[in-house]
Amino acid sequence: MKRVFYSLLFVLFSLPVTAQAACYADYKAKQDAPLRLHYGVAQINGPCTASNAARELQTRLQQAGWTLLNVVSVFDDSGLAERKDSAGPHYLRY
Amino acid sequence: MPDLITSATDARRSGTRIVAAGIAVIVGLLVIAGVGLFVTLPDANAFNAKVEQIFVENDDLTSQAEVKLLEILAQSGTAFSDTLAGYRTTIFVLLVFATAMLVAALVFLVMLVGLNRRMAQIERSGIQVNSLIVSREENTVYLNTMGFKLTDAMMETVSILAEARLDDELLSGAQIEAIISGRLESDCEEAAGATRIKRLRDGLGNQLVSELLIKNIARRGYMLAIDKDVIEVL
Repeated sequence: MKRVFYSLLFVLFSLPVTAQAACYADYKAKQDAPLRLHYGVAQINGPCTASNAARELQTRLQQAGWTLLNVVSVFDDSGLAERKDSAGPHYLRY
Repeated sequence: MPDLITSATDARRSGTRIVAAGIAVIVGLLVIAGVGLFVTLPDANAFNAKVEQIFVENDDLTSQAEVKLLEILAQSGTAFSDTLAGYRTTIFVLLVFATAMLVAALVFLVMLVGLNRRMAQIERSGIQVNSLIVSREENTVYLNTMGFKLTDAMMETVSILAEARLDDELLSGAQIEAIISGRLESDCEEAAGATRIKRLRDGLGNQLVSELLIKNIARRGYMLAIDKDVIEVL
């Protein structure tokens, strides 16, 4: 009984934290010569806004040799499933 | 008609100036055309930029197949722009040819103008003797294509003058008289030679003028042998 309570307590405390952290953005990026494009989904660590997502992704993609074109939208866990197929190999990769 | 008084040297100098300026203008025009051509033809990246723009502007173009398709589109565009680069070279070569042709045309044009001027000068300067044939048998002197009948005495004088000219010599009246009469120069009078020259001038001059200027048409009358457009009475 006590264990259940503790676990419940744990869940109660941790839920808002996880809800705050679960922020994702889908974006479009490119590579030049020859032109290559990709659509991907990535997790965002900071505030869940498009501008912050763009800032974060820019540096992350730059390291992999990609140029960020734009951030389409930011969303939480509920939006992940529908974008998994489209993103393909770039799903949560960067 | 402006600037009637021009010398051949003037014409040549101004001709060279015109040629230089003309060539500069032609080359300048074609350089501008070439630069315009190179600037206006789409560069190799134009297709990629367009595809990229389409990709960014359409939020629903996200599935893997669509993105792949866009990439292929960009690649075929790039291939086409290679073809365009080939065309550009071709057009450039044609431009160079056009330049050469225009320059040649200009040079020929200027040459033609120069020749025309020279012709006009020759016409203005009157009779130009290209050939002088002294025919003793026929008692005739041929100037260019015109033949002039002379008396025996005049023929002698002309022959002596021609021979002296060939030797680059000057003859005094007394010398002429001495050669013709076969006497010593000291026995001859200057006036006698001068008379011979005067007779030659009269005889030849009359015929020359009648040939070139005042024609006598037998039994009909006299006429100026010139174009009526050139006559001006002040």
